[in-house]
Amino acid sequence: MTTTSRVALQNADLPAKISTSPQTPGAPRRSAGKIDPTYYWMIVPVLALFAFFITLPALVGFFFSLTNYAGYGDWKFVGIANYVNIFKDPAVLQSYVFTFLFALTTTVVVNVVALAIALGLNARIKWRTGIRTVFFIPMVLSGLIVSFVFNYLFSNTLPVLAERFGITPLTSSILANENWAWLAIVLVTVWQAAPGATIIYLAGLQSVPSEVYEAAGMDGAGTWRQFRSLTLPLIMGYLVINVILGFKGFLGTYEIIVGLTGGGPGMVTQSVAMRIFSGFTGGDYAYQMANAVIYFVITLLISVIQLRLIQRRGVSL
Amino acid sequence: MISTPSRNLRPGRLQPPALDALGQRSLNRRSLFKAAGAVGAAALIPLTACSSPASATGVTTIRFMQNKPEVIGYFNQVIKDFEALNPDIHVVQDSNEGNFVPSLVRNDPPDVMTRGYAQATADFTRKGIFADLSGLPAASTIDPKVQGLVNSWGQYNGNETSALPFSLAAAGVIYNRDLFAAHGVQVPTTWNEFVAACNTFKAAGIAPIYGTYKDHWTIQQGAFDYVAGGTLDVQGFFTAINAKGADISSASRESFTSNFGAVLPKILEVAGFAQPGAASKNYADGNAAFGKGQAAMYLQGPWALSELVKANKDIRLGMFPLPVSNNPEDAKVRVNVDMALLIARNTPRMEAAQRFVSYLLQPAVVNAFNEKNAAFSTLKDAAVTSNPQITGLAPFVKEGRYYQGAGTYFPPAVPVGNYLQAFVYGKDGNKFLADLDAEWRRVAERTAI
Repeated sequence: MTTTSRVALQNADLPAKISTSPQTPGAPRRSAGKIDPTYYWMIVPVLALFAFFITLPALVGFFFSLTNYAGYGDWKFVGIANYVNIFKDPAVLQSYVFTFLFALTTTVVVNVVALAIALGLNARIKWRTGIRTVFFIPMVLSGLIVSFVFNYLFSNTLPVLAERFGITPLTSSILANENWAWLAIVLVTVWQAAPGATIIYLAGLQSVPSEVYEAAGMDGAGTWRQFRSLTLPLIMGYLVINVILGFKGFLGTYEIIVGLTGGGPGMVTQSVAMRIFSGFTGGDYAYQMANAVIYFVITLLISVIQLRLIQRRGVSL
Repeated sequence: MISTPSRNLRPGRLQPPALDALGQRSLNRRSLFKAAGAVGAAALIPLTACSSPASATGVTTIRFMQNKPEVIGYFNQVIKDFEALNPDIHVVQDSNEGNFVPSLVRNDPPDVMTRGYAQATADFTRKGIFADLSGLPAASTIDPKVQGLVNSWGQYNGNETSALPFSLAAAGVIYNRDLFAAHGVQVPTTWNEFVAACNTFKAAGIAPIYGTYKDHWTIQQGAFDYVAGGTLDVQGFFTAINAKGADISSASRESFTSNFGAVLPKILEVAGFAQPGAASKNYADGNAAFGKGQAAMYLQGPWALSELVKANKDIRLGMFPLPVSNNPEDAKVRVNVDMALLIARNTPRMEAAQRFVSYLLQPAVVNAFNEKNAAFSTLKDAAVTSNPQITGLAPFVKEGRYYQGAGTYFPPAVPVGNYLQAFVYGKDGNKFLADLDAEWRRVAERTAI
């Protein structure tokens, strides 16, 4: 076993915890034979709350997805008609395409940006603490506020600047452009989501011992080679987590789009979550509930696949 | 008075001991039940306490949900006057309209409501949420033409009067009187005159119309509703397409494709007279810019007037209906029942609710409200408005030359505003109409009972 892989093994504990691998039993409770009731007091109330506030409403929602319930008034069972109709509705399908492309793009951009920032902030630079603080500010701001501010910048400030400097394509708001409005949404989402990913990457980078780099330096590896062959494999667990959490979060994107384009122009930036929510105000409750159930199944499948990937990572690292 | 008995028994007061119990290491089941029971009891007591003091003193409390946040102060005064005359009734104003549907789910709707009356409210009416008000003496004082607007959406059991209109808003083209005078432009009464007026302003370097297309509802209630309402029998069209149900297709006689063809070019023409960059501007931008005199005309309703005056208190405004044909006799104005009074069907405080509604419909209250808010009274013999901002629309309202906006007939599940925005940007009329037909059919298919 090489030095690299041995260090990697030590650093693999983060994904290993998530995958609850059988080699690392939660030691004391099993060896004692008797289970301390405290553990139950920690779990049961949360379980009850979870069941009452999450599971039960989800089941109720599923039930109504089989009806034509408008959210109030009379209703009757319609079987799986809502589910069939979803697949025939181009507006809904378009929202799925948009949401997945958006989530994929954003995940890639967020991770590239966050990794770059983390590498910079991990280096011995001047005013490191101050700069770190500046980078983390977007994280504490509400997405809605951020998007309203950017909305103003895109709609007013940027066109005025573009006009002054004679950049014609930018004189009308990017948010009003059917082909490029999504780019603005990606940009703002990245601006807001990158700090969270950066923190995780920083934690990863700080867990890499400096001797590894010293050894690599002595062997004559350049900066790029060190990053590719040392840093990246050593923080792979952190990268996987960032990608998974990020992708899952971006699939549910809602408030930044509401604040920026409201789903427009036309309907090109409507995310699935926005479509689902429109059912509450639109008297379309049952239909969008069916949409929600389908979306839940899809995200569940993705999560399962991703968990499998993590587990494989946890073993192979 | 009402909240006093509950204050001592709020669950919050009992929480610390309950938390202590949970914090203890060896918590037994009984103490948990005790804590849960105490919290539960505390949660119940305020609910029952709400009604008990009322019956003790003989004061009935009714909840009044009001749909316009900008007139809360006005209604507070109205309520104060009403309570002075009716000391046995206490009215609580609630302006959180978003709470309405949840209150239906809880089966605890407000006793008296005002709502804008169109598709959405009519849907509640059809489900039997509201009481029949035809027996109230005040019902006979309402202008039958205005009552007809409400009834046109369908009546519960075929003959009930579920809503009494309180305020009628008339929307048209808001114009800047000073700019019109400075460029010698008269208020246009035909389509050609309107186009000529736009060209005059354009030639003078003034934006003829201020467009705010980023907020797609402004396209919908402006260019779309005005051109459609001036061209088509809007109500007839929607009655026919509703009757057709899910059988609709672009080829049907009742479809959008078959009826709206003539409307679309004029919508694009109106939209084309907007200032450059209208796609980046929203309603708030439009109010600020038009208030500062950056355009001659603004396709908005009376709700914008106070915002425009806020932006520039010296602005002199007027309104006229958008003329869509070249016969001045055809001109009509877009109206909507901005506020209609409703009573919950199952309220146990019916008598008090009726007294409050009757009070609101007294000429002094209705007429004063509408005069003050640039709207039109719904009473038969209301005096002609003296507000110069809306006098241009008054004769049309008086003679009943009006229609309800085509956009208001769409079920909320059809995002017509989004489709319109795509149409105005992309200018593909055939796609727009085909999309509407397809979406209409899908919604009809899944909501048909």
